[in-house]
Amino acid sequence: MTDEITILGAGVLVLTLIGLSGGALLEFASKAFHVHGNPLIKSIDELLPQTQCGQCGHPGCKPYAEAIASGEAINRCPPGGQETIDRLAKLLGLGSLPLDTESDTVLEDLVAVVIEEDCIGCTKCIQACPVDAIVGAAKLMHTVITDQCTGCDLCIDPCPVDCIDMILRPKSSDYWMPGQPGVIVSDRSGQIEMLHHG
Amino acid sequence: MAKYQIKICERQLEGGIYLEEFKYISKTEPCVFLETPAILSFPLNFSGGGAGDSLVQVGDRVSKGTPIIQCLTGIIHVASRSGVVTAIQDHPITHPSARNSKCITVETDGTDNQDYLPPLNWPFNAVTLRQRAIEAGILGLGGAGFPSLKKWGDGTQILIINAAECEPFLTADDTLMRIDSRSMIRGASILSQTLDIKKVIVGIEDNKPEALDAIKLAIAESQSSCSFDIVLLETKYPSGGERQLIWLALGIEVPSGSRSIENGILVHNPGTLAALSRAVDGKPVTDRVVTLTGDLIANPRNVIAPIGTPLLSLIKAAKTDPEQLDSVTIGGPMMGYSISEYSAGITKTTNCVLARTPTKQPEGPCIRCGACASVCPVALQPQQMILALKGDSLGQALHEGLVDCIECAACNAVCPSHIPLAEWFQFGRFKQREKDLEKKLAVAARERFEKRNERLKRIAAEQEAKRTTRRDKGAEALIKARLSREKTL
Repeated sequence: MTDEITILGAGVLVLTLIGLSGGALLEFASKAFHVHGNPLIKSIDELLPQTQCGQCGHPGCKPYAEAIASGEAINRCPPGGQETIDRLAKLLGLGSLPLDTESDTVLEDLVAVVIEEDCIGCTKCIQACPVDAIVGAAKLMHTVITDQCTGCDLCIDPCPVDCIDMILRPKSSDYWMPGQPGVIVSDRSGQIEMLHHG
Repeated sequence: MAKYQIKICERQLEGGIYLEEFKYISKTEPCVFLETPAILSFPLNFSGGGAGDSLVQVGDRVSKGTPIIQCLTGIIHVASRSGVVTAIQDHPITHPSARNSKCITVETDGTDNQDYLPPLNWPFNAVTLRQRAIEAGILGLGGAGFPSLKKWGDGTQILIINAAECEPFLTADDTLMRIDSRSMIRGASILSQTLDIKKVIVGIEDNKPEALDAIKLAIAESQSSCSFDIVLLETKYPSGGERQLIWLALGIEVPSGSRSIENGILVHNPGTLAALSRAVDGKPVTDRVVTLTGDLIANPRNVIAPIGTPLLSLIKAAKTDPEQLDSVTIGGPMMGYSISEYSAGITKTTNCVLARTPTKQPEGPCIRCGACASVCPVALQPQQMILALKGDSLGQALHEGLVDCIECAACNAVCPSHIPLAEWFQFGRFKQREKDLEKKLAVAARERFEKRNERLKRIAAEQEAKRTTRRDKGAEALIKARLSREKTL
């Protein structure tokens, strides 16, 4: 009888210890490997085009990523276009949607240019630029750093003298891109006779 | 009295194809200097070395060796003959884009006025040599036109001279080695002694016995302290691909995504090294060997032509009527591109003008025979990649290893359905590069956006703090004033 009680007691003790140590381990892990913020937000933000244009109704890409993570529609990003929507759908396991956009939304790759002779140096566009792509100082001419402009057009409205234009993003002067091959066969290797291969 | 060793390569090229040899066509006639053409043209942005600016104006007089173009990368291109700049305007160019681009046109005057650099006196260091390479306009003359000096880093152990020339029609490198192996070996010695490279390897296919003899003689006569190895390769396309050659010569596989130079191996074309040797003597790159060949060329041969020579003059020099040719291929039949505007001037990378009877066959559907996969020298699955690319899914093609494709077109040559696989892969790779650039810009934009938000927050907090202290100070002053008023009362 006493033997049985001893065994039972030992069993209870061992199981309690295991339980406690497991609990301690879990507590430690939850502190040490704590995930700050929602990791999904970062993955969504990675897919967005980072124009920071606010056309989705949020002040930048990260805020829209946060909104998507908490359930907002994935089709509100015109610069990203259909490709971004498809990728978001794949990431989130949702069905793809057509772009939710007003008819006048421009989908071309644009950049802002300051018409420098008209600029009065009011610095309003500098304050509006979400990605610090405009340089200038008060009462001095401003200019857009073309490579860094995301084409969000947020600088257009604040300009009091209307001296900012949106133009197609200029290509570097040695830019070229081969055309998509058609069904026309190549004239490479047309006449090469194979001896054998392997 | 340098020593050399001849080794027969015991490794096999994975994949690759045995092509019918057509090198004999252009090898029978001796190589000659081309008569100076009346007009030379030099593209500002497509001379190799990236986009560039003109250093001359219309009406300027230039001599052989006068700098006329400076690229953003620093590389300087010189006028190849003396004359007068008559125009700087859009003109056809020798480039796969086959379009017009801004070119400097020089009307030659037939004199031999020279504007060379002062010769360098040995010993000099790598910095001096790099500066000379910039001034002399040294580019990879094999075909890619990559600024050579960008490859000259510290920690390079081995220099490989890529004398394979595996394209079936080309004999430009072969010719250069037969007539001027001394310059090539001298260039290799200078480069290896300045960069402290101990070993030089010449990788040459076994179909160039005359060039091999010339190299042996040149090494034997050289005073170089380097040790030379000549590796005889089996004639199999594409053994002259950089990674393929490194594998054959050394048994080292350059990992995907890394450059050979990062692995301590420098690979140069014979022409580049010969040009370097001349640059040390003060002569910038003004001429190059060009192969004129193909069944439609009446008098196939190699010529030494000034850079900027119109294709027209070359075709005429081969006693062929340009009117009879619909288009010519620039480069070899495997990796070349076609050009139909013969007023375009040759560039430093134009190694061959090839004219053949066109035999266009219609493209058929892929029958999934797998022939392309068995010949791919990079062990890719071209049939899978083409399926992905045609279905507009670049991501899938990249997953299949599109970035490792060397566009050798061995798959094109064996495809029974005549699918232009290599063109599709080139198209895909360009699209990928564009996507990469976009991605890079997006990441930078996000960083700036986040930094700006932080900054705005910090400024707002600072202003708030200032306001609070001002308010507190104001309140204090008020209390003091009240107290003093109460005291006086």
